[in-house]
Amino acid sequence: MLDAFSRAVLSADSKNAAIGSGELAGLRAYVAAGNKRLDAVNAISSNASCIVSDAVTGMICENTGLIQAGGNCYPNRRMAACLRDGEIVLRYISYALLAGDSSVLDDRCLNGLKETYIALGVPLQSAARAVGIMKASSTAHINETNTSGTNPDETRFRKMETIQGDCSALVAEAASYFDRVASALA
Amino acid sequence: MKSVVTTVVTAADAAGRFPSQNDLEAVQGNIQRATARLEAAEKLAIGMDKVVREAGDACFKKYPYLKQQGEAGSNQIKVDKCYRDLGHYMRLINYCLVVGGTGPLDEWGIAGAREVYRTLNLPTGAYVEALTYTRDRACSPRDMSPQALNELKSYIDYAINSLS
Repeated sequence: MLDAFSRAVLSADSKNAAIGSGELAGLRAYVAAGNKRLDAVNAISSNASCIVSDAVTGMICENTGLIQAGGNCYPNRRMAACLRDGEIVLRYISYALLAGDSSVLDDRCLNGLKETYIALGVPLQSAARAVGIMKASSTAHINETNTSGTNPDETRFRKMETIQGDCSALVAEAASYFDRVASALA
Repeated sequence: MKSVVTTVVTAADAAGRFPSQNDLEAVQGNIQRATARLEAAEKLAIGMDKVVREAGDACFKKYPYLKQQGEAGSNQIKVDKCYRDLGHYMRLINYCLVVGGTGPLDEWGIAGAREVYRTLNLPTGAYVEALTYTRDRACSPRDMSPQALNELKSYIDYAINSLS
């Protein structure tokens, strides 16, 4: 497993060179935005169950066949497996976001995931759709642009009480990890 | 490659939980010290050639017998290899400063070094002398800030201890 720093070390080692000012600029950016990154990881992990359950709910709303007899979220046992998998994917994305590198996500989560799902008969499209919804809500949580949506009585909704700032770079990075999952399932 | 972040993530993954407050605080502590580390790494990279040359010169000055017939530096090719090895150590120390842990030195410098040096009949004392010279030669604020120097010296000491 790598993080942003050890990734720089590996690529410098392959060139047999020390890490100079050029590579350090990128790492300094990681350090400078360090607290934002931690807030972003916190935004995901604090709202994980909400993000996951909303994503699975959304996936089923769009394709109700999933919870009818013969669907892949029927019976409860398979629904539970679906929720569990959503949480696992989100967890590895939070690790990747913390490390600033996708290797932990690739090695420990995505490697062989598609083959496993095909073997188990899990519909890849539905899985990718749930990941897409998780992407939308996670990035909204990081950016604090999350809203209660169309339901004004929504009470689970909350904003992280962090200082407002420009998180566009981190949002883009987090989105890239979700896209990585989606393309691994495609 | 071991670093604070990968250690934290490995532990969280083994427990199957999201990064906790404690995990994030550990990473934050690491990030707060990172500025000094990265400064030291940058300064070392900039002065790398000169540092390596001075370190090698110091070692051959202290142990002139190394250039005698049958010793580790008996011809120019062997002497060049000595400087090259010192360059490797400095490069690995540069990596350690970037990662914020001893992973690069452990994995690429120290593992197996003892066996190699014994087989090739190389004196580790000479490396120790070169690294000690570098450690004592570096000074603040001429070369880098005190915090950065502290980080640099701790990794040089780590390399010295592994060789002695």
